[in-house]
Amino acid sequence: MEALMEAVVIKDLCCTYDGFVAIDRVNMIVNKGEFVAIMGPNGGGKTTLLRAIAGMIKPQRGYVKVKGEIGYMPQKEHVNFEIPIKVREVVEMGIMSKKKKFSLFSKLSREEKELVNNALKAVDMLKFVERNFTELSGGQQQRVLLARAIATKPDILLLDEPFNGVDLPTQEKIIKLLDNLASEGVSVITVVHNVSPLIHHVSRIALLNRELIAYGKPEEVLTPENTAKTYGIPIPTTVCKEGYIHPLFGDIHG
Amino acid sequence: MGEVMIPFLLRAIVAIFIISINAAITGTFTVFRNVSFLVAGTAHAALAGAALALILESLGFHVPVLLGGVLFAIFAAISAGYASGRGKVGRREDTNTAIAISFALSMSLAVLFISMVREYAARVWGLLIGDLFLLSYSDLAIMFITTLLVIAITALFYRAFLYLSFDAEAAIASGVKVGLYDYLLLSTIALSVVAIMGGVGAILVFAMFVAPAAIAKRFAKSISRVFLLSFLISFSSGIAGIALSFYLPFSPGAMAAVMVSSTYFVSVFVKK
Repeated sequence: MEALMEAVVIKDLCCTYDGFVAIDRVNMIVNKGEFVAIMGPNGGGKTTLLRAIAGMIKPQRGYVKVKGEIGYMPQKEHVNFEIPIKVREVVEMGIMSKKKKFSLFSKLSREEKELVNNALKAVDMLKFVERNFTELSGGQQQRVLLARAIATKPDILLLDEPFNGVDLPTQEKIIKLLDNLASEGVSVITVVHNVSPLIHHVSRIALLNRELIAYGKPEEVLTPENTAKTYGIPIPTTVCKEGYIHPLFGDIHG
Repeated sequence: MGEVMIPFLLRAIVAIFIISINAAITGTFTVFRNVSFLVAGTAHAALAGAALALILESLGFHVPVLLGGVLFAIFAAISAGYASGRGKVGRREDTNTAIAISFALSMSLAVLFISMVREYAARVWGLLIGDLFLLSYSDLAIMFITTLLVIAITALFYRAFLYLSFDAEAAIASGVKVGLYDYLLLSTIALSVVAIMGGVGAILVFAMFVAPAAIAKRFAKSISRVFLLSFLISFSSGIAGIALSFYLPFSPGAMAAVMVSSTYFVSVFVKK
């Protein structure tokens, strides 16, 4: 029964770039409908792990098995802001790419147009559909990129730093949306610098620094020993009145 | 100006029209994909290819000069694309650095080959400068057919080219064969460059390709307008260049390039 629930299975994973070992000996299972945060220092291999799950890089050793379609939201820094592309075109990109509709004359079907509109509605950006993507604020751009990732109705949603450059209200909206998606059965895996805003929602946290230092429920993972192994110094924590453990990053961030 | 000039003038105007289509389509993608330098790189690789074709001709093997140019230009584009590793995620060489090295190699080969065929060198140097008034009907026909091919490839793979230029990382994650389409895009740019080299030469092709799209991108609010505006800027500069060359003793291609490049700097000044 348990095996049926597994959405992502990672076994003894090792990934390298031109001989440089980015991550090694990673073992992880993410179940259907789980909300997982990946944390770790810069260069700790968080993005590499996401790319490996997305099938974008071939493992040097070990394997990644995924059950279902993947939606991927890369860091905004990968986007070319020199192209005056419309919000609608950005979101269509997700569907068009999956369907391999590359011709200038390719059109979306009525259902596909509906998917685009629904995704934009979910991130509260439908009113900006004909606006130029590059003219939006950083938070609005992040929401559009999220809409692109969810437009294809993925079973597994991978997000790389979705809160970078995002204001607090937007962050709240995104967290709520991710939480809803998880409760609908989507496995959400997100890389974050600061897990605190998510802590009430995530089911498991992975601490990654080239190797998987710890993986489990927040209260089991966020121990001084584990955070010291991950970041080089222990991260103090506090427990909020609802009983959740919050790491106090202060100036320490990944 | 006598009636004798009219066919030359008409051919020059048709050539500017074809050049402007190339400037709009491939010029825009050159700027979107951030490979402006590739235009100069492939143009000079084409020179090396043309010179090699002439060497082979002097040895008794007939290879069309244009074919030599196209093959070398595409080879240079693909080598630069390979070195930049667009299809792979993670670590990669800066594309412009890879193009610069490929440019240096092509230019050294061009000089080497030209020194081996001194008696034909003028034909190769002609490609370096180009002349809108010296184009024959068959030159125009070749430009036209090549441009049709460029239009067809771009129309068929428009979104793949756009997505890999906008967000290669997401495109790879969606299963787009970004490496393959990147080679195709770079090769199409190379083909387009060689197609219009006869008209404006290897040096000025750079101005005609990069400047119109770079100006258009600053003002256009949508992608289709970048294409349209690039075309209009390129075409009007070309026509103005031809008109001025009737009154001033300058090459029309050079006049067009001076105008379009100056317009770029004016546009930077106007829209800081």
